[in-house]
Amino acid sequence: MDLTGIFDALLTIVGSPYHLFLLAIAVPIGMFFGAIPGLGGKLGIVLVIPFVFGMDATAGALFLIAMHSVVHTGGSVPSILFGVPGTGPDAATIVDGLPMTKNGEAGRALGAAFGASGLGGVIGGLFLLALLPLLRPIVLTFSPAEFFLLALFGITLIAMLSGDSLIKGLMVGFLGLMFAFVKLDPQTGIERYTFGQLFLWDGINVIPAVLGIFAIPEMIALGAAGGSMAKAEKLETSYGIAGVLRGIGDVFRHWALSIRTSIIGAFIGMIPGLGGDAASWICYGHAAQSSKTPERFGKGAVEGVIAPETANNSKEGGSLLPTLFFAVPGSSGMAILLGAFIMLGIQPGPGLALTGMEIVWVLIWGLMLANILAVIMFIIVAPGLGYLSYVRGNLLIPFVLVLTFLGAFLAVRAWENLVLLSLLGTLGYFLKKYEWPRPPFVIGFILGPIAEDSFHKAMSLWGPAFLLRPGALVMIALIVLTIGFYVFRLVKHKPKPEWLRDDDD
Amino acid sequence: MRAMREYLLLILAIVALAACSRGTGDAGDGNFYDGRNLSYIVATDPGGGYDAYARLISRYMQDDLPVDNIIIKNVPGAGHLVGANTLHRSRPDGLTVGTFNMGLIYGQLVGKAGMTFDLRELEWIGKAAGEPRSIVVSENCAIKNVDDLLAAGEAIKFGSAGLGSASWSDMMLLADALDLSVEIVPGFEGNEGEMSMMRGEICAIFGSTSSFKNFIDSGYGHLILTVGGQIDGVPNALDVVQTDRGRRLVAIIDALAKLGRITAAPPGTPPERLEQVRAAYAAALENPELQAEAEKLGLPLDPAYGDDVGRLVANALDQTPETIAMIKTAIDNNN
Repeated sequence: MDLTGIFDALLTIVGSPYHLFLLAIAVPIGMFFGAIPGLGGKLGIVLVIPFVFGMDATAGALFLIAMHSVVHTGGSVPSILFGVPGTGPDAATIVDGLPMTKNGEAGRALGAAFGASGLGGVIGGLFLLALLPLLRPIVLTFSPAEFFLLALFGITLIAMLSGDSLIKGLMVGFLGLMFAFVKLDPQTGIERYTFGQLFLWDGINVIPAVLGIFAIPEMIALGAAGGSMAKAEKLETSYGIAGVLRGIGDVFRHWALSIRTSIIGAFIGMIPGLGGDAASWICYGHAAQSSKTPERFGKGAVEGVIAPETANNSKEGGSLLPTLFFAVPGSSGMAILLGAFIMLGIQPGPGLALTGMEIVWVLIWGLMLANILAVIMFIIVAPGLGYLSYVRGNLLIPFVLVLTFLGAFLAVRAWENLVLLSLLGTLGYFLKKYEWPRPPFVIGFILGPIAEDSFHKAMSLWGPAFLLRPGALVMIALIVLTIGFYVFRLVKHKPKPEWLRDDDD
Repeated sequence: MRAMREYLLLILAIVALAACSRGTGDAGDGNFYDGRNLSYIVATDPGGGYDAYARLISRYMQDDLPVDNIIIKNVPGAGHLVGANTLHRSRPDGLTVGTFNMGLIYGQLVGKAGMTFDLRELEWIGKAAGEPRSIVVSENCAIKNVDDLLAAGEAIKFGSAGLGSASWSDMMLLADALDLSVEIVPGFEGNEGEMSMMRGEICAIFGSTSSFKNFIDSGYGHLILTVGGQIDGVPNALDVVQTDRGRRLVAIIDALAKLGRITAAPPGTPPERLEQVRAAYAAALENPELQAEAEKLGLPLDPAYGDDVGRLVANALDQTPETIAMIKTAIDNNN
């Protein structure tokens, strides 16, 4: 650990007004791109690249990483306030964030989200620092076999997100899986349920799926019910800044969970190919599973906001590892960043560890400082945002619907997407109306293709023996433990039958 | 009565809006492009190679074409098919150009579903670079050079992109042409194949040479064979191939490799406007500043313009029925 190098890099950033200025503009821009559904960080980086091109390597890289790190932070705002995910991974925040808004706790939810994002980002950066020497063996351990089982593990978390009925949860989860299978089969080239539409060859994009399943039903329900998002009779006595600060405090109150989910998120981000969408859902599932009162999840439990938000930001730190040191992007956003770094004259690859560590330290600090700055900037704006939840439905709904349709269209520029959005929105509405859980749909939808693709690759590479790999065995044990733990909890909390109860039970 | 007034106001508003929008008639005197925007369709998501070339070239084209803006439109989907189809169907008024992977030639030759048009119909603006392909082998692999590969007894594991993709078709053709004993593991998108090579799961990949640069510079692998370009110390497939059938198949890969990063306009684009765009494109690629920037970005340049590209395309598509049958067999082989 080159301590002088590490702190020199910090000084480079903090000691230079120009660098601080770049940080100060990159952060709001990144949050803005995250907050508008469908825009996402990728487009933001591409649009900003021409401006960055003229800068020197340090300044340019700092600007880009600062912008990229806070995209998911911004994405939590529409998720919590309206139930419209700003980016794919932010959908997990909706599950408890939106109920919190409806309970009049929007400020607290936002505070928790931002605090969690900040903490997650910082821990992601530290994770990056700590794991540098171990990078190669860890990343190389994850083969398609482990991906398959990790995806399977994620799917078992459906149980956690099923609310009251496991059967309903499983059915919805498998429905999500089925929707994910609509595409051109990568293993045989056969069209699966594409109905002859070229548009469906690449499958259904996650953004319209998530927008349709979550955002549209909320707006329809709001329209039918009347009133505003926050149903509380009177504003909670500590709204505004106090609620926000309480939310941030929650992150530290649940410090063990926050740290755990940050590390899990960073770890998932570190493995190229798993995808950031999975990180937030897996951490949400973990939070539900590890809580002593899992019934609260889905109804406005603050841990349900903290877990996915820490993961969203820490995974960026994790995904920097393979991007910088293997020149293999950890996520699609990183792919563009990789191109931008090369353009700035930074040479990612193993050689970087030998010659270019100064820029690596700058990037890590940039990541952490940007996250902290985002929290600070947010505290200033937050109370105003909280009030949005009290806006009348008939003003809010058209605005949100426009955002939703725009987001779906921006994700994939095809008018067919809007039809798809409407169809999925209808499906989501009926799921909501008849009280079927919706998060399992997204889990099946995201993890299904990963599981399928990895399964085929693993079979091609090793045949059924892939299950005997050491990494695979660990994952199998984890899956069995998870299912076992869930069953145990179910049995333990089952009410005793009438004839067994005492009078005072 | 109130409703009537509201309707009238609404109609007035619509008419006013319509009057404000720009028609597509001639601008009268002055250059057609004056005050207008050119759309540049890219058949991939932002951030990839085609996108990078398009953004670079469009910036310099603005020097010679008096447009207000050249707007990059990313239209990804179906392995460049959606973008290519969109380009083909665009209004031929000289305000749209586009770039996509010429691997679609395979699709046209074998009659793949989704190819709705003949590639020869497009008006060719030019190409920025070829896209030579090479086989890269991982240092973990027992195969160290092309002779080892040709002599291999048991099937060597090659990674490739999804079935039906251009890179997969390249691989199948090469395997047939050189009679290679390979087992293809599909589904590796982007750099996933390289990670797999590092883990020792697959041995090699046949793909775009430029995409392996980082991998090779980092010492994880080296090239053993190339098609469509010359690299010192690396044999060219045309020299290695033994049979006549093989030679024809390699010639097709070679022709496609030479086509690379093309830019085209929809069929029926008016000739004067097409010439303007071609001139601006050529000027951009000849501009030393663009060339310097391209080098900095790691984007090789090997330009060809206008009808030269059209000729290359026509040649590539001009295959005898036997050759087409050969391609079909090669591609259907491992299914």
